[in-house]
Amino acid sequence: MTKKNFKWSNLYLLLVFVVLYAPIMYLIFYSFNEGGTMTSFTGFTWDNYAAVFEDTRLMGIVLDTFLVALLASLLATVIGTFGAIGIYYVKKRNTRNTLLSMNNILLVSPDVIIGASFLILFTFIGFRLGFTSVLLSHVAFSIPIVVLMVLPKLQEMNPTMLKAAQDLGATNLQVLTKIVLPAITPGILAGYFMAFTYSLDDFAVTFFVTGNGFSTLAVEIYSRARQGVSLEINALSTLMFLFALILVIGYYFIQQYNMSKKHKQNGKKNTKAVTLL
Amino acid sequence: MKQTKTFYFVPYSIWLLLFVVAPLMLILYQSFFDIQGNFTFANYATYFQSGTYLTMTFNSIFYAFLITLFTLLISYPTAYLLVRTKHKQLWLLLIILPTWINLLLKAYAFIGIFSMNGTVNDFLSFTGIGRQQILFTDMSFLLVASYIEIPFMILPIYNALEEMNPSYLKASNDLGANSWETFRRVIFPLSLNGVKSGVQAVFIPSLSLFMLTRLIGGNRVITLGTAIEQHFLVTENWGMGSTIGVILIIAMFLMMLVTGEKKKKGAVHKK
Amino acid sequence: MPENPIITFENVKKQYEEDVVLKNINLKLERGKFYTLLGPSGCGKTTILNLIAGFTEVTEGTVTINGEKVNDVPPNKRTVNTVFQDYALFPHMNVFENIAFGLRIKKMDTKTIEEKVASVLKMMRLSGYENRAISEMSGGQRQRVAIARALVNEPDVLLLDEPLSALDLKLRTDMQYELRELQQRLGITFVFVTHDQEEALAMSDEIFVMKDGKIVQSGTPVDIYDEPINRYVADFIGESNIVEATMIQDYEISFVGRTFECVDAGIAANERVEVVIRPEDLVLTTPEKGKLTVKVDTQLFRGVHYEIIGYDSEGNEWMVHSTKKATVGEMVGLFFNPEDIHVMRIGETEKEFDARLESYEEE
Repeated sequence: MTKKNFKWSNLYLLLVFVVLYAPIMYLIFYSFNEGGTMTSFTGFTWDNYAAVFEDTRLMGIVLDTFLVALLASLLATVIGTFGAIGIYYVKKRNTRNTLLSMNNILLVSPDVIIGASFLILFTFIGFRLGFTSVLLSHVAFSIPIVVLMVLPKLQEMNPTMLKAAQDLGATNLQVLTKIVLPAITPGILAGYFMAFTYSLDDFAVTFFVTGNGFSTLAVEIYSRARQGVSLEINALSTLMFLFALILVIGYYFIQQYNMSKKHKQNGKKNTKAVTLL
Repeated sequence: MKQTKTFYFVPYSIWLLLFVVAPLMLILYQSFFDIQGNFTFANYATYFQSGTYLTMTFNSIFYAFLITLFTLLISYPTAYLLVRTKHKQLWLLLIILPTWINLLLKAYAFIGIFSMNGTVNDFLSFTGIGRQQILFTDMSFLLVASYIEIPFMILPIYNALEEMNPSYLKASNDLGANSWETFRRVIFPLSLNGVKSGVQAVFIPSLSLFMLTRLIGGNRVITLGTAIEQHFLVTENWGMGSTIGVILIIAMFLMMLVTGEKKKKGAVHKK
Repeated sequence: MPENPIITFENVKKQYEEDVVLKNINLKLERGKFYTLLGPSGCGKTTILNLIAGFTEVTEGTVTINGEKVNDVPPNKRTVNTVFQDYALFPHMNVFENIAFGLRIKKMDTKTIEEKVASVLKMMRLSGYENRAISEMSGGQRQRVAIARALVNEPDVLLLDEPLSALDLKLRTDMQYELRELQQRLGITFVFVTHDQEEALAMSDEIFVMKDGKIVQSGTPVDIYDEPINRYVADFIGESNIVEATMIQDYEISFVGRTFECVDAGIAANERVEVVIRPEDLVLTTPEKGKLTVKVDTQLFRGVHYEIIGYDSEGNEWMVHSTKKATVGEMVGLFFNPEDIHVMRIGETEKEFDARLESYEEE
């Protein structure tokens, strides 16, 4: 009896996984299609990949996208980490809760709202749209996730450890660099990682604040997809899927690192971190 | 001591002011201006008086409701079964992996799958139902949106189920409940927080998926998000766009109130 | 032997893959008694509880409840209820609903449920707490809710899985009295699992001392305390002085170079044995009057008594509980009576032990 149940449940899970992966596999499959459409496979070819690498405009956009992601996540990590430390030192419960709620506003807001309101902001202060406005926006929406990744690590830290360091003669700066930062490094790494993927993944906010001269990959795909099917996009998707796979494996190792550092207890926390993805 | 602490806070505070408080204020401010830049309440008047906006809002909420319902129906059993598998961490990672693929790429795949000569139509024609127009219909929008939101529903429910103390199930069994009664009286009520987080994570973004309505829905479905994008980037009527934005923000807060502010259990929607 | 045992285990073996957790367990539990399974963690005591409750299945052997084989009966169909170590109270229900859970499953009418819950609440001195959330209850109160939730179903057997381990010392002692009193009043069979020997001694009608998936010794608390079958049981139950000895003949034994009168018999002459003497049976006296002389090494004041550690001429350590004070470094005498010497044969099983006792006690 139990055996039969088991089979059915496995079948259901299998079906869900098939549905989840089918579109992605579909894209990858047709990226090798000679025929130029996403409906009939006429023959195997690498041409679409060659086209991606020959398309200098596309390659430029890929580089820009990564540049924005790297810079934005770096800045967001620095600001977010110090923000988290700041919030950690706020002793008043109410102030702290208010700060946290404000922190989370951008996390729960729909992309269009963030995009539209940032667009108003940049226009209002007379900021020219382009690379910098996109970068600033990406920094802005990545900060809260960094805070959420770092703050639990701070709270896990034993407060007497800080007193002990001071008691042993450490200055504030030394307490920060020798005690606090090493203790929260896993959180900072996770935060950086999340910020990076947020930035790579964003479409809507960028779409609002990008102006005419500058484009990221997501925006470019959107405009090309609106014109119809182009297998260059399939080839690009395949490459991006591989990249995502590498990122996930990377994230998995950060998780393992955190786990081995603080045993099982963090396992749950990390599942939550994954949930935030 | 005090100085160092405030110093940490300077860039973060600037961010809070400039990118959280100011944009919210500005969108509210902008909603009181018409296209010529004159102060007016007309945007709100138009919104509440013209049937089109109200219908659009109602439709958008209705679609978001359907998307949330679909994803919940698929995700709950998935999460439930997932918690009971071996190597569940690995399976979980596999559920998460598709969310790392840019949403636009996944939407783009469906252009092929749903097209007139696509796989689904091949199948329909094979079974004798015959080819149908699937792309650019309400249904295609609902399906693709649900597909995209499924992982965000699975994860919080999975976490809620995973955190549940196994001795509750033992206790329920010990007190005479069979599996179904245990599910109904213990497991489901205790996973409700996860369901709420999931609903929160799916419903609000579903109100604003303008790229899907454009690419898949063929402009037949207009969500609040589509309307905002339209007003900001096409007709350049920022005042009206902001008005709808304010409505969307209010909807968001209402949603958060309904689903309860009970300690956030993970699950903040990925952007 | 009981005519109509409520629970029996016949040759029960439990194995998880390669790991044998229970080896050939045989048990007969009578109605209306308080049983304790005592042993360190991993000795299999909780597995026995799980087998009675139905949470795990035996690998070999038979378990019966009320004379019926229950090997394949699921927990929800068994007339036993459990008080869990972490209580497992449902956090989304208040006190009343937690207790009413089992009754609602049985589809009793609302009025009966209210009556039953009210009476069990009264019995557990929890009246007035019906609408409290579980999170608002203290550890001791939760404990009582957990007991009430199990008892309201009027089980034939109540299983308690180390339920006192989460409470502080004072509360734990109070609950020991309360549980014992409750069991005697209700006349239900209790099966209590613990690793705390004091708890076991204080509450039980019968104790099963377990080690590595086997029952090493069973008996009343007094039996087990006074006649431990081997070094393991002696060590586990209370403080004890254990020295090697040689049986001279019936009622005569030799250790630390001297010969003493004892009350044991039925052991071959010159057999190597071990002797247990409890610290409270040793009386401090002058070296001249003592049967043994030891040099006092350390002394701790324990409130009711002094705990004195001394060493004899052969280097054996002796612990004495005495109300009199000793002086560290001095020689003192230790006096004891023949019946204070408990002889343990090396490797003797419980069956052999019982047979030997019977053989010479009948004489």
